[in-house]
Amino acid sequence: MSVRPIAFFALALLGSTGLTAAQGPSPGQDLKAAIALQGFPCDQVVDSKRNADSDYTATCKDGNRYHVYVDATGRVVVKKL
Amino acid sequence: MRRSRPAMQAQARTATNVVRARVSVTIVPLVMFLVACVHGRTPAPATADSAASPPASAPVATTSPTPQPEAGVTAPAPEPAPSQMNAPTGPPPPPATQPPAGQPKPATTSTRPNNPGATPRAPATSPVPAASAAVAASSPPARPPVSAAPPLDLKALEQRLRDTHAIGLFTKLSLKNQVDDLLAQFKAFHQGQSRNTLEQLRQKYELLLMKVVTLLQNGDPPLASAVRSSQEAIWGILTDPKRFAAI
Repeated sequence: MSVRPIAFFALALLGSTGLTAAQGPSPGQDLKAAIALQGFPCDQVVDSKRNADSDYTATCKDGNRYHVYVDATGRVVVKKL
Repeated sequence: MRRSRPAMQAQARTATNVVRARVSVTIVPLVMFLVACVHGRTPAPATADSAASPPASAPVATTSPTPQPEAGVTAPAPEPAPSQMNAPTGPPPPPATQPPAGQPKPATTSTRPNNPGATPRAPATSPVPAASAAVAASSPPARPPVSAAPPLDLKALEQRLRDTHAIGLFTKLSLKNQVDDLLAQFKAFHQGQSRNTLEQLRQKYELLLMKVVTLLQNGDPPLASAVRSSQEAIWGILTDPKRFAAI
């Protein structure tokens, strides 16, 4: 009786994790990695605001805020605010 | 008194039956557990001809994979390193082909003495040599699934990096920028206009590849291992002016 709901829940959970894994990282994780690749400290992005296409303002858990955008030459630029 | 004695006896019998039932309820699982334990231990010494080799190889197979992935990961990295650093074409094939050629040989040679040795030795009761031979035989066969031949295909690797979902767009673009910067530094180096030495370029290259592998290893482990395994091959291309010009 109780095994079926648990199994169903486990399968649903596995399916959902697989789906999220297939979708890739969240915007916060992407911004965090981009910030870290530019050499700035950011352990976790707690808030991000989309200013325009490929233009974000990210707030890290430690309070640092960064302007992350792609310039005209196609380079990712990270500026500390 | 006569009526009470049978009643007492009946009560005593029912009490003993209840006690027996309870004892049987507790003892039966214990007996089954002991039988299972004894049954699990007996096949190795008792049936030395056929059943001794599978249990002997089974635990070794479980223990061997843990060190061998590390050896498999570390082994391909140093092997291509000297081969492609020194000569890009000549030496690489021998070390690449030797491990696969050496792996099946001990597997076949070790399995052959086991099978013929086990069947005649079965009546002679020699479980210890069979077990040791099985242990020796089980370690080489565990290598083939771990070792994956990394033929370098830069275009395929690049396409896999483009298509992977483990890295976000900003991260991919940042990595591409850094790869382009490093390629520009290599280009300047080959033209004799670089301030960087080859050791400095090597350090930058290793750091960049470390970033890529770090970003990939959680979301796309096969691609991370592919990048890691082709690290020295890519370095061989970068340091060879002719091959670098062909990129």
